[in-house]
Amino acid sequence: MDSDLDEVAAAAVRQHLAVCEPCAKVCEELAAIIDLCKSQAPNELVPPNPDALWCRINNIIESEIKPEPALPPPPEPRRRLWRFTLPQLASAVLCVALVSSLLTVIGIRNYLRPESDDVSSGAGESQSLLEKLMSKVGLADTPQKARERRLAQQQAAIEYWDRRVRERKAQWNAVMQEKFDKNLNIINESVNDYQRILQKNPDDEITGEMLDSAMDEKMQLLREFAEL
Amino acid sequence: MHLPDPFIASRAVRKTTILLLTSVVFFMLFASAAYTQKRFSKTYPAGDGVRLDLLNRTGTVTVEGWNRPEINITASLEAPAAMIQPQDLSGHIVVNVVKDNAGRGDVGNVNFYIRVPYYAMVDIETRIGNLKVTSIRSALVRAHVSAEGDIELTNVMSTGVSAENVSGDIFFDGEIQPGGYYRFTSMQGTINLRIPFPSNFKLMATAPSTRSINLGYFSGGNMRAVGDGRRIVGQAGDGSADIRITNQRGTIAFIRR
Repeated sequence: MDSDLDEVAAAAVRQHLAVCEPCAKVCEELAAIIDLCKSQAPNELVPPNPDALWCRINNIIESEIKPEPALPPPPEPRRRLWRFTLPQLASAVLCVALVSSLLTVIGIRNYLRPESDDVSSGAGESQSLLEKLMSKVGLADTPQKARERRLAQQQAAIEYWDRRVRERKAQWNAVMQEKFDKNLNIINESVNDYQRILQKNPDDEITGEMLDSAMDEKMQLLREFAEL
Repeated sequence: MHLPDPFIASRAVRKTTILLLTSVVFFMLFASAAYTQKRFSKTYPAGDGVRLDLLNRTGTVTVEGWNRPEINITASLEAPAAMIQPQDLSGHIVVNVVKDNAGRGDVGNVNFYIRVPYYAMVDIETRIGNLKVTSIRSALVRAHVSAEGDIELTNVMSTGVSAENVSGDIFFDGEIQPGGYYRFTSMQGTINLRIPFPSNFKLMATAPSTRSINLGYFSGGNMRAVGDGRRIVGQAGDGSADIRITNQRGTIAFIRR
């Protein structure tokens, strides 16, 4: 149709069009369109100036959109008061990690102190230098405060189990009541002794530890007899 | 001398009466003994990782290691007799007299005699009464008396040993195993350890009231007293085992085995 095909292909197409009616029809229609296009004046086929056309469209759009109030100019970015270099930043992160780790370790050690005695430790040696320092500056409990806090917890538990024992005790036989009272008295005597010593010398680590242990014994005795 | 007939007759009656009364008293005593003493006996097969957990209310508990793969539990129950319902949890024998008699205020003593394979882990506990463990070489021997009672651990070669009471004596006779841990705690009584010399352990022994800590052959060397002699800390040999002894109102002594 446009003489784009070579002789061989064009002959093959012609042959096909001769025998295929639908294709021949399509070909005729296409030929008619091409002829029509060729017969029109060239002015009508020239597209309008694209730039001018876009300019017109743009004007129409702008005229249809309500103009928004003018925004204040964006503030200039504030000048940062501090700036860190990478090593400074790394050091800061390291410091934060170190301090938080130390605080965690101290907290855990304070919490577990009664069970985690170091065999090599003696009187007055169970609090490390760092812990002493921390307690001086108020970041950690002093041994006395930690002891008082723990004593209060133990006392609360003891009162609870003591109530339970009193509910059950009347049902025990005389021998059991007698043995229970005797052993509770032994523990109470020890507790009183240790409390007296600690009033005189609050820094006595061994006595503090023994008091803690005696309170645990008392709690355990009450709990175990409350089951009976 | 010839006695009158009525006198002979009265003597015969008296004799018969005495005989009758004696037999009545005998049968009554026998019946009462039979009523107050009940017995319990049961045997369980035991595998390699066998363990005995016993919680008694009151009474003596004796555990003996033997060379048989079975656990034999015998108990004599005083009136009012306790209920005993041991459980066999795949080689883990649990006897809980406290739980089995929960809510019963007055329960008589239960005296246990238990034989276990020498390699069995033993965890025994009583509220009041003596505990004895003999010839065990397993990973664990624990004896706990809630209130009053002596604890005697003889010929024990275990790697984990714990003995604890409020009042009463604690006696340990055995070998300290490398890497083992040994805890002995009492409020009042004596704590004696009979172990071979030399043995390897780290020690922390505390007797705050009496300050009586006799290390025997282990004294000197790497042992030192702290807290005005209330505590002794140190190491014997390579210190591979860990011994901690606390006797709040009693004494501590080491004896050579």
